[in-house]
Order: sequence, then C-alpha cells, then structure tokens
Amino acid sequence: MIALDCDQQFSLWREQARALLGHGIDPADVTWAQGPMDDLLAVPAPLPEGPGPFRAKVPAALLAQLEQASRYCGEQRWNLLYEVLWRVAHGDRTAMLPGDRLGSELHRRIKQVSREAHHLHAFVRFVPLPAALAAQLQLDLVAYHQPAHDILESASGHFAERLGRQRWLIATDRDGIRFDGHTLDYRRHCPEPWRQWAQHADDPGADLWRTYYRHIFNPARLNPDAMRMHMPGRFWRHLPEGMLIPQLMGQARQGKQRDGQALEVAQQAGKRIGKARD
Amino acid sequence: MELIAKLGILADAAKYDASCASSGAPKRSSRGRDGLGATNGMGICHSYTPDGRCVSLLKVLLTNFCLYDCQYCVNRRTSNVPRARFTPEEVVRLTLDFYRRNCISGLFLSSGIIRSADYTMEQLIEVARLLREEHEFRGYIHLKTIPDADPLLIEQAGRLADRLSVNVELPTDESLKRLAPEKQGHTIRQAMGTIQRGQQAVAGEPRAPRFAPAGQSTQVIVGADETDDRTLLGNSESLYQGFGLKRVYYSAFSPIPDSPGSVPLAAPPLLREHRLYQADFLMRGYGYKAGELLSKAGNLDLDIDPKLAWALSNREVFPLDLNRAEPALLARIPGIGLRSVERLVALRRERRIRYDDLIQLRCVLDKARPFIVTSDYRPAQADLRSGLLRARLREPQAPVQMGLWG
Repeated sequence: MIALDCDQQFSLWREQARALLGHGIDPADVTWAQGPMDDLLAVPAPLPEGPGPFRAKVPAALLAQLEQASRYCGEQRWNLLYEVLWRVAHGDRTAMLPGDRLGSELHRRIKQVSREAHHLHAFVRFVPLPAALAAQLQLDLVAYHQPAHDILESASGHFAERLGRQRWLIATDRDGIRFDGHTLDYRRHCPEPWRQWAQHADDPGADLWRTYYRHIFNPARLNPDAMRMHMPGRFWRHLPEGMLIPQLMGQARQGKQRDGQALEVAQQAGKRIGKARD
Repeated sequence: MELIAKLGILADAAKYDASCASSGAPKRSSRGRDGLGATNGMGICHSYTPDGRCVSLLKVLLTNFCLYDCQYCVNRRTSNVPRARFTPEEVVRLTLDFYRRNCISGLFLSSGIIRSADYTMEQLIEVARLLREEHEFRGYIHLKTIPDADPLLIEQAGRLADRLSVNVELPTDESLKRLAPEKQGHTIRQAMGTIQRGQQAVAGEPRAPRFAPAGQSTQVIVGADETDDRTLLGNSESLYQGFGLKRVYYSAFSPIPDSPGSVPLAAPPLLREHRLYQADFLMRGYGYKAGELLSKAGNLDLDIDPKLAWALSNREVFPLDLNRAEPALLARIPGIGLRSVERLVALRRERRIRYDDLIQLRCVLDKARPFIVTSDYRPAQADLRSGLLRARLREPQAPVQMGLWG
C-alpha cells in the first residue's frame, strides 16, 4: 500500500497521480491521507520514482473535472479522483459520465463545489469599515464566511468584478483572500489579524438591510421549508438578517398570516388619498 | 420622514410583485474601474425570506401615493395605508449601500402613479440615469414601465435598464374594467409593443447601444378574479409569441389589509400558482403548447403535476424506449428532466441504458417507471389503466393552505 499526502493541493496530487499511473499502480494499492495511516494492516510503500513506462492519454476535459471535484471536502477526497483517472486512462470513459456509479459521485462532487461557490457569491456579507479605520488598514470592506468546500480561491474573483476599486477581504476558518483594488492575495492559512477584523467589525448600518428584509417578506405566504432548501441554516449566523428569521416565522404563525402587510406598517396611521368611483 | 421609515413602507408596498430575477443581463465588469457592479447573465439570490422567495434585487416603490384605484392593490388611492415617497437620490444611496454589502445584485424599481403616467416614468428613469451615469453602476436594473407613458420615455428606460416590465395584472379586459378601471388592456399591449420594437431595432447589431438586454416580463395575478388556468396559459402563450416576452410571472393573490369587497379575503392559492409555473416552464423549456396542457376550460390539476397529467392522458405515446426514442420525446417522460435527457443521450452513445442508470441520474423513478423501457426493464403495469396509475401517483394533499383559516 502506498500512502501519500498531497497537502490538500491539486497540483501536488496531479504530480503524484501521474507517477502512479505511469507505473500502473492500481487504485486499490494507494491511499491519500493526512497524518498516520488509519489502515493498520497496510504496510507503507514509497511512491515509485520516475515517470514509469505507461503513457496515459486522457481527454482534457477530465483534468478540469478532476480539479473542480478536488475542491470537495469529504471522505476519499483524493482516492476517488485517482480511481476515475485510472479507469478513463484504461479506456473506460463512462467513469467520467454521470450515469456511471463512480462518475455520478464525481459529478455530485462537482455540483456540490459549484453550489458552494454560488453560496459564496450569494451569502457573503461585507461590512463597510468606518473611514478612519479603512484608511489605516487600507481596506474598505470585510467579510467572514464559512464555506463547506475549498472554493475561496477559485470563486473570489467574482467580487473583484463586482466591487471595482474597493478594497476588501474575506476570512474563513481555514483560508483568506484580500483584494487591494488591483490584485488578489490568497492565503491558504488565514492571517489571524484578517480574521479578527472580519469577525469583529462593528456594523451600525446593517439596520437598513434588516428593515428591508423584514418588509419584503410576505407573511401570508409563509413557507420555511422552501427557504431552508435554498438557504441552509448553517449560513444564517453570518447573515445580518439571520436573527430575524425565527421571529418573522413566529409572527406569521401567530396571526400575521391573514394578509401580506408587516406588523410595523399595520401599526402606523394610514392615509386614503382619494375616493372610490361609484 | 427618516430614510429607514420610508424604506419600511415602500418595501412593504412592493412585495406583491413576484419577479426578483437578476439573470439574463450581458457581461459587465467593474474590475480595475471606477464605479460598482457586474453582471454575467447568471442571477444571484442573495437571501431568502421565510416565504421561500428569493431576494436578488432591492425591490421598492419610488412612492406608494397613487391616483389609481385598482381593487387588488394595497396602494390604491382608497386604501388606508401609510404613504411615503423616496427622492431619486435616496433610492440610489440604498442601492449602492446594499450592493457594496453584497446583499443584492441590483434594483427593481416600480411606483404608484403620481401626477401623470409621464411624470411617474420620468422619475423612474431619473433613478436609473443617476445610477448608470453619475455613479457608473453596472449592476442589474429592472424598471417597471407605466403603460400610458410616452413611447419616447419607454425608449429612454430601455437604454438604461436590463429589464423592463409592464404588468398585465388581470388576464381579461372584463376583469380590468371591473377591478382596475384606470387601466386598459390595449395600452398595456401597446407598451409591450414599444419595448419589443426597441429590442428588435438593436437585435443583431453588437455595436448599437443595448436595449433592455435581459428582455421584458410581466405579471398576472392569480385568484383575484374568476379567470381559469386555460385562459391564463393561453394568454401567456400569446404574450411569449406576440411580444417575445422572457417571462410571465404568476402571483397568487394574497389578501391585502383594508380589503375591498370586490376581491377575495382568502389565503393565496399557492399550489395553483405552483402548477401554473410548472406548466409555463413546460411551454418555454419543453415545447408543450398551452392547448396540450389544458385541452378544455378549467384549471390545472392540483394533485398531479402538468407533465404527468399530459402523459396520463396520452398513454399511446408510452412506454418509450430510452435507447431509441428521440430526445424531444424523452423529455416528455414524467420524472425525467431536460438535464437527464442530455445525460442519457451522452451515455447511450457509449453503451445501452439500463434501469440502474436512472437511479444514478437521480430521476424520479416513481413517476418515470410506468412510461419507460430500458435494456433490462419493461413496465409491468404498461397495461394499467390511467385512472389507477393516477391514483397511485397523486401527491398527498396536505391541508397546509388552510393554516389558521379552517
């Protein structure tokens, strides 16, 4: 059994996989894991040296698929990729198609990864820093986000497109990325000050957004399951509107379901501005 | 009045518009430039409210003062609601602030009718102009179009906005006359025609200034009057064909405070709305005709989806052999969507399709099973009567919609 560690980096895994494939190492005889091997019966063997005799040809599209799937954090993260690569390299292209048992897992991972990138684009919330602090840190906007997969580096360019010359940073519990208006600075290990700035930014302006959220909700159409399906609960705590959700659901169930108006508007004096035509 | 108080009133007044889409805009980027905002064709839902609806845009009215007296509308002049009015600068400020925070992808601005249709339209255009020209905002802008406004104003709006919409609201002229006396079907269609001509004028001219590149849409209210689904779907079909509409939105009529006696005070017909969206999608994406989905007057079935309903009343087409049938026919099998059809076609170029492949593709087999043949499977119930099949496949009707009303 060959035990490898690719430091969770696709480029490293790719080098290792190329050597393994060249030497004809069967997927059953190799494992990627961090730290000590968990298979007690396995005797560790080293990665064979040199490129090996077997010259594998695989479609270019496969590498892109493997790279995208490699961002998925979960069991058999790297082993699965090698199994797909092995089968396609030996002429079985169904391994990269969603109809196949292995291919369908590959595509499920690709889908989860792009869904998580989409979650980043949707649910990151930037907090604008006050002018003095912004000048001091050379930073206009900060955000804290907890993605389930390794998508921060590949998916963050989106914000440079959106925010023009604004300087921003996104910190997670693993990595971080910062934009100075020109270039992206990605760190696999988020510097502690970044995380501090992002997690402890004071945000008095968030009330405007919470007001909007509260009022655009239609209590007569209450449907929390649909909301949860699209916006999983794990994101709520980093959204400024997250704390309103239970409260709004409660109000809707306790009588506000009768019409669409928010309680705060119903309590204000109204104004008729014309008569009905008769 | 403070900005935050106005925002509360004018967002509350805007929630009855169903559309919040930010998709279909051309590629724009602010990277390395002054200003703010990008679009890439894909919409982003930045949040969801507990009604399960997506929040993609800042959706507000410029004002909820209104000269009109549309019975279904919370903002009609005889309604006893608090009133407010934004200045154009205030809407700009809110849009940019929310956009920077990544709460929205753009603005959907509508308004009550004040002074005149032209004046109201000019105010909406002014907001879009400030955003685009003064602040170099490249995010998504959707402007509501006032039907009676001067066509020149509509053209101006089309050059600034990604999407324009004119709401049909009520599907028949009789209902409009009864419930929205100031509105007229023919001016609504005229405005749609103006927008369509604006789009056609720049079609195929990549260097021409863009005109509402994300297309035009409309909204129709479901359940405020007696109109049936067959009429609604027929109308939608002619709007798609006649004016090249991108989307028709269906909005289940939700009861309004201080409701006049002319409209129902019942819970919104959410399931009916859902079936209409399904049927609409079948027309846009799958090539079904409105007449195929509902061949006689009435409403869509609530207990089964419209695709299954079509399959059950066209049993002679099935079962279909997944290894041989045309892709367009495969797409008519209940439980198999367009994406699965694509994947099945790719797979069957490599080898024969087996039953297990459908499991891997996560097709809805309970629905698909009676309608398919694979290399290792034929439906045992092929000769089962549609009535029995339907009884087996109907969705349980939970009395959810009754809620507190029972």
